[in-house]
Amino acid sequence: MRSWFRSYLLLVRWTALRMRFLLPLFLIIQTFLAVGIVIGFAYLMPEVDPATALYLSTGAPTLGLITIGMVMAPQLVAEAKSEGTFAYNRTLPVPRTAVLAADLTTWLVTGLPGLVLGLVTAVFRFDLHLHVSWLVAPAMLLVALTATTVGFALAYALPPAITNLVSQALIFISLMFSPINFPADRLPGWLQAIHHFLPFEHMANAVRDTLTSPAGGAPGLSFVVLGVWCVAGLAITLRVMTRRD
Amino acid sequence: MLTIENLTKTYRRGVRANDGISFGVGEGQVIGLLGHNGAGKTTLLSQVVGLVRPTSGRITLLGRDPVAEAAWARTVCSFQPQAQAPLTGVTARQAIEIVGRLRGGGRKQVRGRTKELLAALDIEEWADSPAERLSGGVRRLTAFCMAVVVPGRLVMLDEPTNDVDPVRRRLLWEQVRALAATGHAVVLVTHNIAEAERTIDHVVVLDHGRVVATGTPGALAAGREMHLSLSTPVDPALPAWAHTPHREGDRLTVTLAAADAAAAVTWAGQHCDRYSLNPASLEDVYVGLTEGDHDAVLVP
Repeated sequence: MRSWFRSYLLLVRWTALRMRFLLPLFLIIQTFLAVGIVIGFAYLMPEVDPATALYLSTGAPTLGLITIGMVMAPQLVAEAKSEGTFAYNRTLPVPRTAVLAADLTTWLVTGLPGLVLGLVTAVFRFDLHLHVSWLVAPAMLLVALTATTVGFALAYALPPAITNLVSQALIFISLMFSPINFPADRLPGWLQAIHHFLPFEHMANAVRDTLTSPAGGAPGLSFVVLGVWCVAGLAITLRVMTRRD
Repeated sequence: MLTIENLTKTYRRGVRANDGISFGVGEGQVIGLLGHNGAGKTTLLSQVVGLVRPTSGRITLLGRDPVAEAAWARTVCSFQPQAQAPLTGVTARQAIEIVGRLRGGGRKQVRGRTKELLAALDIEEWADSPAERLSGGVRRLTAFCMAVVVPGRLVMLDEPTNDVDPVRRRLLWEQVRALAATGHAVVLVTHNIAEAERTIDHVVVLDHGRVVATGTPGALAAGREMHLSLSTPVDPALPAWAHTPHREGDRLTVTLAAADAAAAVTWAGQHCDRYSLNPASLEDVYVGLTEGDHDAVLVP
């Protein structure tokens, strides 16, 4: 266990060193995204009522986490695969789980500042009064973890070029066709049904309901669905990492 | 230390990369693995560090099975893969030190050894520059340092001298010998046969996934013909001992048996001022072995 933790810390250091030039860039992109959704999307609507404002403000941090986990992370993993980092790490005497944990840690930390900035922007823009539940931290962590593990699974299982395409598609799907910034009942029935199984709506619910603490309490079902996606993402990623030809 | 018995690897696409390979490496020994591109050298090394699973045959490393205990195998075996090491965003020194620590080295020990290696390979001036801006050769040397900063009992180097300049290649060969001198076993894949000849103790020549020859460089070359080259614009009448004449411009090359060397020197002296007589090199042996079809040659 001690040697696992030692490997983990050294790998975090290595990944952080490699990514330190990209971190400010990610922060800027996330901030633009959050501000874009909160302020820009509001222009699309003639009048922003409190319900819409709530969806936009809580959708922005969710989308920030999705962008980091399902777009940035897989694209960087794809790049690492192309340039041989993945193959090289496989030759090192470190547990595969430590490599995965170190990568996850780096990405979770990367997502944090954008998340906070997005929320702060929303609160100021709409003069929101949130009723933050204590579950907000585990909920955000679960959302970030699910987005990143699913992103990793895609990047590890698919060829780099396909990964880049899929991750681009994901941002459009989550931005335009997922009930993140608007209520699900605006979508056609078949799409609503699909979203019961996809993680996007559940990510939005987990973030929104823990930020606003509605009467219904915490969204238990969303936590369960996200947990399943997260475990599936981890399993696929570890399978590819440990696979031998 | 490492024993490979009858190792065969057939990929799912049906490509047989290794076909019944057997050889062994002892402590303090440097084994040169020679073969064309696609001869199965990288597949062989990948099986020892548990990246590729053998189809049949057995690998024994320090009395244990590295196929079943791949994670353990990676702790006793340092590997420099053929692909360039990932150095994006880090300096050569940072990359070497982090890998040294990941291989279990203490902070002070790794720092000292890194400094030593950078000096020994004469790449200190680039040690603290962003590594993505370095030349291919310096990157390759950095990858070599990453593999040997805290060397495992077995060190496997896949084409470590690619892109490296001649002077630093020599420095690298010295480090390989230094590893052997401290009891490490080294498996070396290289196309730089002429230089490696002086470094390796034992050669294994692979062709189409099979071992076609094994032995010391000297033993493999023994009994082979010598080469006589002379600069002469006209073709002189060749004595009976001269075989396979070959002309390139004004340079004429013939082959002969070692027993006729004295006669050849006298004859060459009569026909021109500049000539050279060389024994068959390991490279000649290698080219001969891997040209066309042939049966396995085993030299003790």
